[in-house]
Amino acid sequence: MIPSALFFVMVYVMSRWFVALALLVGGLLASPGQIVHAAPQVRVQQVDGGHAVDPLAAPAGSKAIVFLFTSTDCPISNRYAPEVRRLATTYGPKGVVFRLIYPNPAENAKGIREHMAAFAYAGAAQAFRDPKLDLVKFVGATITPEAAVVVDGKVVYRGRIDDRYVDLGLERPAATTHDLGEALEAVVTGRKVPHPTTQAVGCYIADFAR
Amino acid sequence: MKVAAVALASVTLATVVLATVASGFSRTEQVSSPTYTKDIAPLIADRCGMCHDAGGAAPFGLLTYADAKRHATQIATVTRSRFMPPWKADPDNGPFVGQHPLSDAEIDLIRRWVDGGTVEGDPRDLPAPRHWAEGWRLGQPDLIVTLPEAYTLQAEGTDVFRIFVIPLPVTKTRFVRGLEFRPGNAKVVHHANIRVDKTAASRALDAADPGPGYSGLILRSADYPEGHFLGWTPGQVAPLLPKDLSWRLDPKTDLVIETHMQPSGKKESVQPSIGLYFSDTPPTRTPAMLRLGRQTIDIPAGEKQYIVTDSYTLPVDVEVEALQPHAHYRAREVQGDATLPDGTKKPLIHIADWDFRWQHVFQYETPLRLPKGTTLSMRWVYDNSAANTRNPERPPKRAQWGQRSSDEMGDLWMQVLTRNEPDLVTLTRQFRAKVAAEDVNGYEVEIEKHPNDIGLHDDAALLYLEVGRPENAVAHFQKSLALKGGSAPAHYNLGTALSVAGRLDEAVYEYRQAIQIDASYANAHNNLGSVLLSQGKTAEAAREFREVIRLQPQSASGLANLAWVLATASRPADRDATQAVDLAERVVDLTGRRDARALDVLAAAYASAGRFDRAQDAASAALRLLPAEPLASEIRQRQDLYRQGRPYVAQDPQSRR
Repeated sequence: MIPSALFFVMVYVMSRWFVALALLVGGLLASPGQIVHAAPQVRVQQVDGGHAVDPLAAPAGSKAIVFLFTSTDCPISNRYAPEVRRLATTYGPKGVVFRLIYPNPAENAKGIREHMAAFAYAGAAQAFRDPKLDLVKFVGATITPEAAVVVDGKVVYRGRIDDRYVDLGLERPAATTHDLGEALEAVVTGRKVPHPTTQAVGCYIADFAR
Repeated sequence: MKVAAVALASVTLATVVLATVASGFSRTEQVSSPTYTKDIAPLIADRCGMCHDAGGAAPFGLLTYADAKRHATQIATVTRSRFMPPWKADPDNGPFVGQHPLSDAEIDLIRRWVDGGTVEGDPRDLPAPRHWAEGWRLGQPDLIVTLPEAYTLQAEGTDVFRIFVIPLPVTKTRFVRGLEFRPGNAKVVHHANIRVDKTAASRALDAADPGPGYSGLILRSADYPEGHFLGWTPGQVAPLLPKDLSWRLDPKTDLVIETHMQPSGKKESVQPSIGLYFSDTPPTRTPAMLRLGRQTIDIPAGEKQYIVTDSYTLPVDVEVEALQPHAHYRAREVQGDATLPDGTKKPLIHIADWDFRWQHVFQYETPLRLPKGTTLSMRWVYDNSAANTRNPERPPKRAQWGQRSSDEMGDLWMQVLTRNEPDLVTLTRQFRAKVAAEDVNGYEVEIEKHPNDIGLHDDAALLYLEVGRPENAVAHFQKSLALKGGSAPAHYNLGTALSVAGRLDEAVYEYRQAIQIDASYANAHNNLGSVLLSQGKTAEAAREFREVIRLQPQSASGLANLAWVLATASRPADRDATQAVDLAERVVDLTGRRDARALDVLAAAYASAGRFDRAQDAASAALRLLPAEPLASEIRQRQDLYRQGRPYVAQDPQSRR
């Protein structure tokens, strides 16, 4: 456990340092499209293979990255597709980058492509695989669907998209609290996120790694 | 964490080895953690396999080690909360068909398997693979019908209810022993209630609603066939009925399938199929469907503990075949009991955590015998506060009885068999009155919400006539007439209710209005004639009956009514015995000598013509058909007159006053 804790501290420091450097560089050169580098230790796979990439890197000017942990056959996860697309439509233009993360190592490129097409995610969010649960561990996700909002390499919100699901087998007819939306609204308006962590309900990421 | 898990595993292994050395093989079993092959695979195959197979109703399969392992935490969680396998009734109710809940020990076994690292175990321990039939689980059906056009389910939102109407292409009467529903898209179809409609009414609603099926209410004309439950819950297939318990299916019958669906996140295509299994022979026994329940439900907003009860005491011995509780989202608990004549209480069913999503017909493995005098009772508890997660209204609102899922219901249906046909008649006659009396309450609530729905007013009026409250029927037909803006049938209906209520002058006015709009309205002429006759206007009545026969030469009621006037009129000038006999003989032929009233008319006609022997014979034939009262007594009194060589002459209503 001790090595892990050290590792996290290091990530935090490095990400702050990299962000600061990038902002400085960006400010000096004023070059649009400059990549903001964050924690280099975290790597996810591109859906179609190729080299591993840094999921925390975002286009310059981005205010936040939202990671949405999902899996192709999790019913609760899938039922949120329209809500995820709505949030992406609302907050995409306000500088929020949406990334769909498939942590299940058993899911392949073909399955993910089909899933993205079926639920019309293409255009709303980029997709990555996280078979080693690198990003899962970095943000502390345990469930699909679960969202993590990262600002400047730091997780400012992690948990459910809204409170529609109370438990497996118990749901409200409609959500009464839109936690992810509230977090994003706080981020884009420069306020503190009201509830930084909530409990997501759905399928267990721990099971994917067994 | 990975490292820690490995270390733990080797400790367990070491313990196992030591134990084996110490006291032999049997000790090993106690200390080792459960394995998939030996402990978990048989449980999953038995309790989950009917849905969680490759093509089953569940969202994912669980029949391989890889699949079970990949959902291990989820399996442990949902079995511990008893969300899965879905069985809402108390485990000591029943035993019911398909009842196989997990025991506490089995749930703990699953937890220990997950905590112990989801060990696979020795492949030789795997149970023989169990094959869940790919296709129809009751075998190849005799008739398969499929929704002609797939329904497109919206991508999001809460539960969707859609009523599909499928005509059954049978050209002769068949007897149905079984029905299997295949959802077409098991990922979104959650359950189905199936009824049959012998009228075209459901079909008309389907045609009026764009797309396959319709959204709205199940009509009164769509009912369970001859006291049989039809429906589907995931993983359950009602077994074939014994041959003597089949139900009759006539040509021109439609299946009406109320389908409960849950959106999946993307648009889904839903196209259910139904397989029917026929029997060659007609049934020899018919069940009765009893329904306890209240339609006066009216729950204030925020009420946490609203209780609805109903009971009924059996007039005959019965065997309970199956039970189905039904309520919506605010219901939290249901209890059904049978209190025997000696005071012993037998619980029938108790669902402590009612979930509208998991409705089920609970069919007894062995029918439950209940003696005459047993009181059946039900008790529903509702929570209409914000604390009820499933409450469809936020903030909570007043909830009244209604079929829509946003309204509330509280029923306990019971399918019972009687010992014999006379017991069935006794039971159904008595029960029908109870149900009709409750149904009028439901109609009043619906009408309060939809005051301009003509169909609701018409149905309510018919129910009021059935329960002997003609004044209420008059009020609803008046409303219906006002809404329709004066159609001939609307005037006719109102006239009929007014005649039953004894308001004869008003009835005459309404029938005349109907005839003014549609001069060829035979039923209006017929009823007008009947009312005029009871007002003593014999000649006018005869004129109306002649008009009926002119319009419809085969009209049994027109012929019988005219024959009756010509045979029994109080003024000799209005009588014509020869023509009366001629007409009455035609009616008796038309009704195949199986109508007591027709034979009574013939007897009166013979007596009028002085043929008293034949009159007595006809009266005897009528009485052999066991007509209901008061007709039976009237026929007997008339028969006494014929024995004395006297005809029956109608009393002049004027002289009676």
